[in-house]
Amino acid sequence: MKIVTIIDYGMSNLLSITRAFEHVGAKVKIAESSNEIEGSDYLVLPGVGAFPDGMKELNSRQMVEPIRNHAKTGRPLLGVCLGMQMLLTIGHEHHTTEGLDLIKGQVLPLPKDIIGFKVPNINWHEIKMPSDGRWQSTILSQSKDLTDFYFVHSYYAKPDRMEDVLATSKFGNLEFAAAVQHNNVSGTQFHPEKSGEEGLGLLSNFLKL
Amino acid sequence: MVSGDCCTKYIRIDPSGMKRVIARLDIKGNKLVKGIHLEGWRYLPDSPNDYCNKYYLDGIDEIIYVDAVASLYNRDSLKEIIKKTTDNVFVPLTVGGGIRTIEDAIEILRSGADKVAICSQAVKTPEIISEVASRFGNQCMVLSIQAKKNKNGSYSVWYDVAREKTEIDVIEWAVRGEEAGAGEILLTGIDHEGLEKGMDLELIKKVSEAVSIPVIASGGCGSSTHFADAVNSGADAVAVAKSLHYGKMNIKSLKSELGKLGIDIRK
Amino acid sequence: MSETLHGLPDKVIFCKKCCISNQRPSTKREFSKKTTKDTETVGFGDDGICDTCKWFEFKKTIDWNEREKQLQALCDKFRRNDGTYDVIVPSSGGKDSFYVAHQLKHKYGMNPLTVTWAPHQYTQIGWDNFQSMIDAGFDNVLVTPNGQVHRVLTKLAFENLVNPFQPFIIGQKNVAPRAALQYGVQLIMYGENQAEAHNKFDENLSPLMDISHFCKKENEDLYFGGVHINDLKNHGIEDKDMFLYKPLEESDIRKAGIEVHFYSFYKNWSPQENYYYAMEHSGFKSNPDGRSEGTYTKFASLDDKIDGQHYYTMFIKFGQGRAMNDVNRDIRDGFISREEGIELINKYDGEFPSKYFQEVLDYMGITAERYWEVIDKARSPHLWEKVDGEWRLLHKVH
Repeated sequence: MKIVTIIDYGMSNLLSITRAFEHVGAKVKIAESSNEIEGSDYLVLPGVGAFPDGMKELNSRQMVEPIRNHAKTGRPLLGVCLGMQMLLTIGHEHHTTEGLDLIKGQVLPLPKDIIGFKVPNINWHEIKMPSDGRWQSTILSQSKDLTDFYFVHSYYAKPDRMEDVLATSKFGNLEFAAAVQHNNVSGTQFHPEKSGEEGLGLLSNFLKL
Repeated sequence: MVSGDCCTKYIRIDPSGMKRVIARLDIKGNKLVKGIHLEGWRYLPDSPNDYCNKYYLDGIDEIIYVDAVASLYNRDSLKEIIKKTTDNVFVPLTVGGGIRTIEDAIEILRSGADKVAICSQAVKTPEIISEVASRFGNQCMVLSIQAKKNKNGSYSVWYDVAREKTEIDVIEWAVRGEEAGAGEILLTGIDHEGLEKGMDLELIKKVSEAVSIPVIASGGCGSSTHFADAVNSGADAVAVAKSLHYGKMNIKSLKSELGKLGIDIRK
Repeated sequence: MSETLHGLPDKVIFCKKCCISNQRPSTKREFSKKTTKDTETVGFGDDGICDTCKWFEFKKTIDWNEREKQLQALCDKFRRNDGTYDVIVPSSGGKDSFYVAHQLKHKYGMNPLTVTWAPHQYTQIGWDNFQSMIDAGFDNVLVTPNGQVHRVLTKLAFENLVNPFQPFIIGQKNVAPRAALQYGVQLIMYGENQAEAHNKFDENLSPLMDISHFCKKENEDLYFGGVHINDLKNHGIEDKDMFLYKPLEESDIRKAGIEVHFYSFYKNWSPQENYYYAMEHSGFKSNPDGRSEGTYTKFASLDDKIDGQHYYTMFIKFGQGRAMNDVNRDIRDGFISREEGIELINKYDGEFPSKYFQEVLDYMGITAERYWEVIDKARSPHLWEKVDGEWRLLHKVH
């Protein structure tokens, strides 16, 4: 049975994501301190809330280095929602904050002036495969193009490199990164644990990496 | 943003995003209940979890639980229901009913809810809106508004399961709620609630024009046409209760009909 | 053993199934009441369960198909196809009487005349619902008593019997039989048998109302507001002013072949179901101010400004108010648990009906001081105690 380590840094309701992983057959370990992160096979960084608060919590618990170290081992790491945003270099929510810098790029606010599209963006959206169609061997390997996932966010991630954008979605006329990936480090802006069977499928895929 | 040659061809026309179909379950103790105008509650035969599981499998986008007796006594059975829901239902869950303090909200979220809906307490102590929003994020704070039309055409805010009236204007209240940090409005038209004869379109229009956060319309949806009308009046989502619980509508056929009516819906 | 008022049992017992206590009065002929002393209370078994709950258990065994057949037969017997009325339905415009009238007309092919005894003071919602009922398609006769006489009787009833609602009750019992005599109609159909709520078990076994409730015996002494009819002239009321209040002659009723039935005998009666029915078939509206004072419900007893006082004086005399009433009904119908009922009673029962208080005082022509004097004198020491200047019930349902 695969063991998934979910990081608890006080910024998320862990129950849903725990249940979702259990539902797809994994055993879940909750890492409340930095030394519990080391040696993980599958590491998950969840999160709901603001970028500066998230980084502050990670820093105060000395979790930043262990996460970066895990990324260096090549073992899979998944960031969800705020967790995904923190994988990037810099966040601009409230004020500029340094992120984990595992994927080069920045986190920007969603535009508030697009008619018909409200912030926070609380909705299902379909995600699109990049034109080079490279979902194979990723967390989205079993997903079909244009599948709907559940998003809840007011900011979006903008990777510097196109190759790091795993999937896009649309917010009005803004196309943004719905999922990112750089080698063994993946992230989803949407919540796979809240996206029905498709979301569960994504979590299963993560466990196959 | 992402350069143009990456991916631009979307099949769907997305003029204002998808509209969500939400199931609303009013709960008393460990049973599902339903009334008319939030009055005259009757029990339904199966457990709330049974209904919830069915809706999930049929493709519901979100679930809302409202505890109809929370103002009277403790919440243990509701927490049990929430926990059980997270076992097999993997779509967002909002829980409301008698949330009076930040501690109540924490308890509910810890049990597995993604968002909390607050109605009566927000009227009594509006500070709770910003408290919850700053602690858990705006998206977690759903301001639940029970609205009733007055003789002069304006709408007033009611609370305590539509038992108590205030002089607060609904539109102003919605705006204040957004300013205080609410991420969504759950808007219930009391006079239409429970009758399955259509929703209060005027109410929906007025509120959605006044705020820039998503509005979930609730009360009176008995058909796909009612749903579509609500969306065309400005609702971002519609919460359905009676029609689903009593089997008048089912989610699959509702979504298919909505698709035919041109409403963008999750498959 | 403490002193008791109103002739109530000195030990207070609460039903184990619902929340009623043995202090609850049952229906009695109003025009024989001289004082509050001779209250008859609801039946209670040695097992601590009230007669009404027992009745509800028994109801589960009733063959409603059989009752339906009896109702059909009754309607077949009295139905007229010559365009004249064939049934009188006493109606306030509320959900219960609407349900009865609507069913009789549309399901059983009868030609009902709805007859209404006016409330002391119409509330706006009461009047609107009354009009909605008529607009839904019914002929109606509204009988309104002499305003001055009614006020005096109300005041007397309040001061002597602590029941300002009595003139309404008296007139309401007479109005349908009187109309039946006047219009030559033999069948009267009420809604709920009061025994469904608070009388002795056996009263539920017959579809018929005991006609002694609106008929007088020969040479019987009649009391109104606790005052003998011959003494009313001391209060400015002449005998000729009392036509609408005096009970009818039994012989007239029998000669005319008038029968007074309860619809609740033939149908599994539920006020909540009636509410749903009225909502779906007419413009019936619930209380626009939300829950009614003294309770949690919004759809019962909405039409009279004095309604609140009716329940409040009951709360003072018997320790059981409006919420208690609604709770017991909902428990027996299986809509709430006893536990929830207790919480609702603790929260709402005995809430003072302040909304129309001044209007009621003006109506009766008494001061607030006098009002509270009467109220406080009606608190039986076996039910009430004063603690730190505040009145408190000695026994609360648990």
